[in-house]
Amino acid sequence: MANPFSLLLPALIPSWNFFDVIAASPRVEYALADSRDAALDAWTEFRPRPQSLSPAAMLGRLLWNPRWNESLYLVSCAERLVEEPTAHGEDEVFRRIAADLAGRADVAPWLSFRLLFVDPTGGREVLYQAAPRLLADIDVR
Amino acid sequence: MSFDHALRLTEVLLALALIQQGLEHLRVFRRERILFGARIVLCGLVVASVASPWPLVGLAGLSLLILQRFQGPYNGGSDRLGLLALWCVMLARVLPVDQWRELAFGYLGVQLMLSYFISGWVKIVNPDWRRGVALRQVFAFSAYPVAESLRGWADRPRLLLAMSWAVMLFELVFPLTMLSQASLIAGLVVAATFHLANACLFGLNRFFWTWLAAYPAILWLQQRLF
Repeated sequence: MANPFSLLLPALIPSWNFFDVIAASPRVEYALADSRDAALDAWTEFRPRPQSLSPAAMLGRLLWNPRWNESLYLVSCAERLVEEPTAHGEDEVFRRIAADLAGRADVAPWLSFRLLFVDPTGGREVLYQAAPRLLADIDVR
Repeated sequence: MSFDHALRLTEVLLALALIQQGLEHLRVFRRERILFGARIVLCGLVVASVASPWPLVGLAGLSLLILQRFQGPYNGGSDRLGLLALWCVMLARVLPVDQWRELAFGYLGVQLMLSYFISGWVKIVNPDWRRGVALRQVFAFSAYPVAESLRGWADRPRLLLAMSWAVMLFELVFPLTMLSQASLIAGLVVAATFHLANACLFGLNRFFWTWLAAYPAILWLQQRLF
């Protein structure tokens, strides 16, 4: 775990290089299985964006936008996981997928996720896949 | 705008922005509820001007715990400016010498100006931005468009080329708006509209409120320098 002062420093001396290069973009996908060793072939995109959004909904999100901001946080986690895998990054992604699945019935007990990166040419590549975890073991409180 | 007025306005706007963000964290996870619940209470004390400057000191300390919790800013650039503003405002309240306090608050104004200028510079040196390709890529495949229908904008290259140049030129000339208060206010109105568009199209609502909160710092700095 990085110490908080080293994490604060880039905020106090910022680089401001927003969107300087448009890099490959991650999508989080998850799969459920009945056993740890089952083949994972039915991947589902986590929180796909809606087909359209009304102007009123867009303006409403100025004040209340928690799920989208959480999705952007998962993009950061995904980029960090690919650069330097950490238990923290993996835990964060697992926890948020599991929290979304928590209220659903008939969910298989084993959960895995993978990070699919889409590049500027439209090419898609899986750059990370987490080992399956038991949903019951993931702390969603 | 006097130093005290600008500082007070910045801390109140920042506290309100942090409350808005904090409320979004109260939904699901217990540890986040504790951290952000405490932040909301401290922000409330800042808005009510109770026990100043200790709530700001508490918020700065809490920001370290939140950074530790997420191993970095939760939402990239917007949280970085929020942290910068918080630490500058806190220092502008606690430092013992007037010049040091002005320096801390002025640093926020300088960084706000640089946030536009450097963003424009790193874009204009990239041929993909100059040809409108980069913005097309943002709409076509990045994680930012809030709806699939917005991806269709990628098929409007002339519009995106015009938008790219408008954004780059605005960001690059922004420092010149500091030459007079009227031009700075006009520049900040354009900038706020830009952040509003980003909030609507890309869901970057935190940028809108955080950047707005820092505007009094640059308004004060302009008066102080010119």
